[in-house]
Amino acid sequence: MIYLDYAATTPLDPRVFEAMLPYLRPDGVFANPASTHAAGFKARAAVERARAQVAALIGAEPGEIVWTSGATESNNLAIKGALEFRGSATSNFLHIITSRTEHKCVLDTCRHLEAHGISGRAVRVTYLKPSKLGVVTSEDVLAALTPETLLVSLMWVNNEIGVVQNIERLAPLLRERGVLLHVDAAQAAGKLPIDLQRTPVDLLSLSAHKVYGPKGIGALFVRRRPRARLNPQMHGGGHEQGMRSGTLATHQIIGMGAAFAAAKADLETDAARIGGLRDLLWSRLQLLPRIHRNGGDENGTAAIAIAPHLLNVSFEGVEGESLRASLPELAVSSGSACSSATAEPSYVLRALGRDDEMANASLRFSIGRSTTASEIERAAALVIQQVQWLRELSPLWAA
Amino acid sequence: MAARVIAVVGRVNMSSIPDFTGLDNPFGYSAPIWQRFTDPARAGRFAPETPAVFSGEAGTPAARSVLRLQFRFAAAHVADARFQAYGCPTSIAVGAWLADWAIGKSLAELRSLKLAELRAALEIGDDRAHCAAMGEDALLALLAQFPECST
Repeated sequence: MIYLDYAATTPLDPRVFEAMLPYLRPDGVFANPASTHAAGFKARAAVERARAQVAALIGAEPGEIVWTSGATESNNLAIKGALEFRGSATSNFLHIITSRTEHKCVLDTCRHLEAHGISGRAVRVTYLKPSKLGVVTSEDVLAALTPETLLVSLMWVNNEIGVVQNIERLAPLLRERGVLLHVDAAQAAGKLPIDLQRTPVDLLSLSAHKVYGPKGIGALFVRRRPRARLNPQMHGGGHEQGMRSGTLATHQIIGMGAAFAAAKADLETDAARIGGLRDLLWSRLQLLPRIHRNGGDENGTAAIAIAPHLLNVSFEGVEGESLRASLPELAVSSGSACSSATAEPSYVLRALGRDDEMANASLRFSIGRSTTASEIERAAALVIQQVQWLRELSPLWAA
Repeated sequence: MAARVIAVVGRVNMSSIPDFTGLDNPFGYSAPIWQRFTDPARAGRFAPETPAVFSGEAGTPAARSVLRLQFRFAAAHVADARFQAYGCPTSIAVGAWLADWAIGKSLAELRSLKLAELRAALEIGDDRAHCAAMGEDALLALLAQFPECST
């Protein structure tokens, strides 16, 4: 099997595995980091080292990192927590701006707030439509602002198409206007340089398992100056400065710290090598006629940035489920929802203007640290062969 | 396997034939659907000038699928068959099964096909019943070119 689904999740980096082991062994560092005895202090010190490692990758201070269970929880905490805190200061309805191509956990959180309101107030949400290339511009966001807008939530890198939103440009514009900016950076961390000392994002969601760390651990960056305040969504012992209660998962936290330290060390070499393999894959696939790159422009060289690890392609003339099924040797994500007769194609590709058929007949290739050039060559050859086969099998295909 | 398929569909230009040899069925299709999808003998179409070839085509409103069957008759029986399909693996398997099933059959035998038989042979569940119905529709479209009495 050729694994090209690193945007879904990554294996543990060996450095991360080694770092976690002392915290998993029965005779290891197991004490509760909140305990006030020597063993607890030792665990606490390790947690704080990891906090500093996570902060270092994104140009934050350690005290701005709040541990969560992953990016889904971070996104929920950021959006609900910020609205709940700021909502009490306003008398009218609350307004959020986001985009149609956000991750489901942002969209579903927004829909939940629309349906139920928060703190007794109604919530309205503007879902910006990206351009055909997948871009939401700063001008789009500014044009949607209203006096009631409390929060803008946009992802840095789209998880399906890899389009990089220009957060560096947007963030200061929103800061000037006093509107909070939340960024889902699950696919951006470790892939692009992020410097929150220069980019005034208020809240930023992170996940460990997209960056060769363990599953089940993430973090939310919560800016201290100026302070982005949140109401907790998980109540209890007042951990994490009262923003997220629950006993800290020491081994997971150590793993996330080690993963982010490795990502910081390897960022430039990883991006160059992985981006090179992605470009190789695209150049090979272009031997097929009538295929379309989703996100950015067709040749990937325009001003629109695409994260180095992602390539999303639609194939004309093939049906999505058969395309996926014809490639059992590849672990890739498909735009096709295969298990149902009423398949619901990718809403991200639909938002870009792809019709249902082209959204279904798409594959997302995501490349990682372990990917080799020979795997890319083999994957490209398989895809080309199977697409040609399905096209020739089709009574509708006219070459 | 690829060489065998090329031999079967020799009159059709098949520049690429997949080779699923040794691959399992990670998506959990029924065994007969996976077998037909990955080894679709009789895939393709007859050359346009081939005599005694009749075609039938059908689609399904439940999904944008199309199935085309072609039977070549000799001595009032199906001497050879081809199929083409655009659709899910079940649709492709239905075409492959019908093309195999038809060989040697008379018109009366072709008319006797029961949808339940097709579904049972490929273990097609209720959620993909429309794929089997598309197969029956393509067969009926082909048979509609013959008067009922010509058996």
